[in-house]
Amino acid sequence: MVRKRVPDWLNSSLWSTTPSDDRFHRYSPSPTAAVSEPAVQPPVPVPPPAAASRPQSSPTPPKSEIRDPVNDNSNNNSNDSDENGSSSDVSPEDISRQAQLLVELSKKVVNMRELRRIASQGIPDGAGIRSTVWKLLLGYLPPDRGQWSSELAKKRSQYKHFKEELLMNPSEITRRLEKSAGCDNDESKSESSGLLSRSQITHGEHPLSLGKSSIWNQFFQDSEIIEQIDRDVKRTHPDMHFFSGDSQLAKSNQDALRNILIVFAKLNPGIRYVQGMNEILAPLFYVFRNDTDEEMAAAAEADTFFCFVELLSGFRDHFCQQLDNSNVGIRSTITRLSQLLKEHDEELWRHLEVTTKVNPQFYAFRWITLLLTQEFNFADSLHIWDTLLSDPEGPLETLLRVCCAMLILVRRRLLAGDFTSNLKLLQNYPPANVSHLLYVANKLRTQGSG
Amino acid sequence: MVLVLAIGDLHIPHRAPDLPPKFKSMLVPGKIQHIICTGNLCIKEVHDYFKSLCPDLHVTRGECDEDSRYPENKTLTIGQFKLGICHGHQVIPWGDLDSLAMLQRQLDVDILVTGHTHQFKAYKHEGGVVINPGSATGAYSSFTYDVNPSFVLMDIDGLRVVVYVYELIDGEVKVDKIDFKKTSTTRSAH
Repeated sequence: MVRKRVPDWLNSSLWSTTPSDDRFHRYSPSPTAAVSEPAVQPPVPVPPPAAASRPQSSPTPPKSEIRDPVNDNSNNNSNDSDENGSSSDVSPEDISRQAQLLVELSKKVVNMRELRRIASQGIPDGAGIRSTVWKLLLGYLPPDRGQWSSELAKKRSQYKHFKEELLMNPSEITRRLEKSAGCDNDESKSESSGLLSRSQITHGEHPLSLGKSSIWNQFFQDSEIIEQIDRDVKRTHPDMHFFSGDSQLAKSNQDALRNILIVFAKLNPGIRYVQGMNEILAPLFYVFRNDTDEEMAAAAEADTFFCFVELLSGFRDHFCQQLDNSNVGIRSTITRLSQLLKEHDEELWRHLEVTTKVNPQFYAFRWITLLLTQEFNFADSLHIWDTLLSDPEGPLETLLRVCCAMLILVRRRLLAGDFTSNLKLLQNYPPANVSHLLYVANKLRTQGSG
Repeated sequence: MVLVLAIGDLHIPHRAPDLPPKFKSMLVPGKIQHIICTGNLCIKEVHDYFKSLCPDLHVTRGECDEDSRYPENKTLTIGQFKLGICHGHQVIPWGDLDSLAMLQRQLDVDILVTGHTHQFKAYKHEGGVVINPGSATGAYSSFTYDVNPSFVLMDIDGLRVVVYVYELIDGEVKVDKIDFKKTSTTRSAH
């Protein structure tokens, strides 16, 4: 799916193999073959000579998979960029960005514009910053810090309520109905033998009921969707220990993902569950679950649910088949991408769509509906999402620009290729320098905007 | 939450052509996890039909069954409950609750599902519960023509069983239920 190369700096002797904090073992994927870049972003202290490497702050250089245990403060209050400085190779911009974010986050009322501006350049990986910033960007946490705890408590209890209501099986529901209807059968019948008396069923509910409003009927109809969700959840990111495998951690994470998707499907009968939603959910859950603040990490499921709803709200129409051909559906979005490309790089556009007839639907469908999670490795896609989520107008505009930039970056290969090779290239987008990609995407914003 | 269908004494094709359409419309695949059949289907087509509803099918031999390979009794465990199946023509007097209780103790099961009388019955004694789902087609029995089609669906949930009785009375499906719990005292020591 995603091709990963081991960058040179990863082989550097800087990395020691003993993590300082046992706790974070849980979050580390097993050291798979050297080829696969591990799920957790390797702290990159050294920007190799190429200037446009991925800048990320790296506090201490533990083994690449283990997240940094140093910045361990709740809610990133008093963290200071000095703690990061143990490696002398951290680029100054990373430190400054981390510092800026922390300053912003520690204000009583967060300045959202400022936050968006900094976040769009990339959020550093340490100290659970990303988790908090994403929650703010998605509107889950209000800008006013004082309201955080009450908001969080409210939302979390709401989610708990949803789960109780929606994840109950019909046997339990019938039992509850009976209790409320006042039929208290069992205990009174303690005769040791005799004919068991028949009692009336409540509300006409029985397991073979075909009635539309029957809870049993709905349960069986939902079970198809639940099976689908289950299958997709098991297939999410099979290379990451966080999501896949037999460990306790993976199982509980899968359960969380499953619950969120089931609750979402039941609350949204119009759109239910569509394959691919699990891919959009995965990064959110990953980030929130790996929050360094224990309390936040424990409530990750509830938080992820609401943020997922928020994120999806801008893209719902892409998942609705009936809307495919409408002007809010996926086809029209793909057309917009096409237009964008034409605006900025007519030659490439012409070559792709007219000469080699590579219909953008063949590659852009997945790019757009899955928000680029499948095109890059996990770490890179988190970085891209930083930029996507920080767009005040919603991720879609930025997404289109990033897609356009993706095309432009490989223009030479595309211009030289025919239908088959271009399609192959675009459906298996080569690993790219994400910062450079985002830089180009940003430039598209300023130039040539009609 | 396990759904177990208990059904039997259809006597297709000898005494009845088919299940009542109202029953057939309710019995769709995908809902039921196990089927327990007391016997007297009588032909393979009925066996295949049940198999299509649910792959886990248990049948015991009735005196009119054309397939002689079905066992006389069968026991199986579903969740916390042990269930036993026997057609019932072997137990005389037919339908006698004490004799059936003996059979139940012999098989050592919590719930004995039996048939042959074509009358629904649910009876509790110290050894456990006896359930007779009746005849699903309303076929005449060895001693009466006055038979209402009926079958039973059990919802086994932990230590609790809810028995839903489906009966076709005057052309309408009537559903009742019976609740019982398994407690340690219902198991007599052997």
